[in-house]
Amino acid sequence: MFRRIIKNFGPEWGAAVMGTAAICITMQLSSEVARPFSPLLYVGLGFYLLTTVMLVAFLIPWTLRFFMYPEEIKKDLQHPIRGNFFPTMPICFILAGTGTNKLGPMLFGPWFAYHLSIVFFFLGVIGIFTFGFLLVRTQFLSEGVKHEHANFSWFIPPVSHLIIPVLGACSMDVYWAETSLAPVLFVISMIALGVGILNFLFVGAAVWHRYIYHGMPEGGLAPTAMVGIAPTAIIVIFLIKFIQAIEASHGSLFGINFMSVFPLVKIVASALWGFSFWWLILVIILFHNYLKMKSHPLVFGWWAYTFPFEAFVVATGLLAKCVATHFLHGMLITLNTLVIIIWITVVFGTFKWLERGAFLKPQH
Amino acid sequence: MKVRSIIIALVIVLAPFIIGISLFLVKGSEAIHAKAHFMTDTRENNKGITHKGIKADWAFCPDYEYKPLFFHAEKYLVFMFHYRNDNEYSVQLMPSYTFASPGNRRYSANEEIAMYIEDELEEKLKANDETPITFKVAPNATKHYIVTFEKPKDLKQFYIDVDVFRDVTLRIRYKKENSTWENYKNELIKKYKGRG
Repeated sequence: MFRRIIKNFGPEWGAAVMGTAAICITMQLSSEVARPFSPLLYVGLGFYLLTTVMLVAFLIPWTLRFFMYPEEIKKDLQHPIRGNFFPTMPICFILAGTGTNKLGPMLFGPWFAYHLSIVFFFLGVIGIFTFGFLLVRTQFLSEGVKHEHANFSWFIPPVSHLIIPVLGACSMDVYWAETSLAPVLFVISMIALGVGILNFLFVGAAVWHRYIYHGMPEGGLAPTAMVGIAPTAIIVIFLIKFIQAIEASHGSLFGINFMSVFPLVKIVASALWGFSFWWLILVIILFHNYLKMKSHPLVFGWWAYTFPFEAFVVATGLLAKCVATHFLHGMLITLNTLVIIIWITVVFGTFKWLERGAFLKPQH
Repeated sequence: MKVRSIIIALVIVLAPFIIGISLFLVKGSEAIHAKAHFMTDTRENNKGITHKGIKADWAFCPDYEYKPLFFHAEKYLVFMFHYRNDNEYSVQLMPSYTFASPGNRRYSANEEIAMYIEDELEEKLKANDETPITFKVAPNATKHYIVTFEKPKDLKQFYIDVDVFRDVTLRIRYKKENSTWENYKNELIKKYKGRG
């Protein structure tokens, strides 16, 4: 049985860790809104601990599969949908690092938490860039990729690069601002940001083309539409964390002055948040369409509804620190409640999906 | 769904909430706590500084103890700044804070620790901490901001730079004399406005 689990433990399982990890941040931000929400900080800590357990539990079979079943890995890498889920595990490192950065000091104190989050940062960076190159190479060399394969899970590699500067900026915001590591974090973050933004635009155009000229994908891929909310939401998160990092460096980081960039950040972040909000409504319209066609089956891919939406909630909470605080705080609390409802639904859905035995019959 | 699956799913779903609520209820116990030992407030002896109609005051606790769950307690320097707007119009504030001490130590405030101890401090000082990076202060209103710094061992002297005014930095200086912290000097320092 153990060998069968390893053999079928697909790259997509990282999405479950991602969907759980980001809740610790949505909870932490919600706890700051008003005194009655203070316990949410500790609930966030509970989600952080659950994420840690899930990360360790999933990382073991995920890693063993590379050594025990390399042919399965190769098959998955060449798959036009499943292949894109490989970066989800390195993304988990970045998210675990971000959780450690924000909530770790409650468990281990600041010194240990900030060092541990840096270890997560470098593990994540190595994994994300490695899979990023592997996937682009596979797509470019493969002759089997067709227009109709394009779907929003193709956004996962760009999203994986965009998430690197979030932890980079979080780390510069605290302990590492004045150290020799700060330029290293800055350069890696900026490279990843550039790769992420431009890949998001290129891939977005390809997927958009498919949706217009080749129709919508079948219902099993319906949840991937939610991934489209993530890139701009993550850029918003980065921008606000970066501005906080500049503030933490006495108002000037690498010659970038807080007072001169803050107004621009507010405008750009608000506009990008607006795009994510627009996309959320688009996802609801598409979701309604799939339901009407009775084509929304229970699949593991439901996890795609969690992390991207949570990223949008985090973006809402952080944007509230800069503009329209009262309005966005109200929205944050409402959306955070929705996050929990979606997460609980998906956890129960996953168990129902497992009961059907779908885990042991992967479709290539 | 099978009963076994429902039970496992319920355990997963409820675990973070049960852990979180339990930790929230036991905070203040020996396992995880925050304690303020001694506190001064410049409002008591009118020692704050006024610049361009903004009166800046601060409460200071030199030994605020915070104990993480798995590690030993550490002491922090905690301030709660009070900004009162004496102008006839609203002002938008965007303060930032830097700690400096001999030994070439210079670092920013620790937002995370400030977030964890916020409730206790608000309760003690009967004031609400502002969370946004930038906030508006209406005429005759006062807003409060909690600032926490990690405390180096054997600290005898330090200053805090408060960047809240556009043209000057408020520098507040403390030194330890006979085991008590004295706020011996406060000054407004002109900001460097060169190129680069």
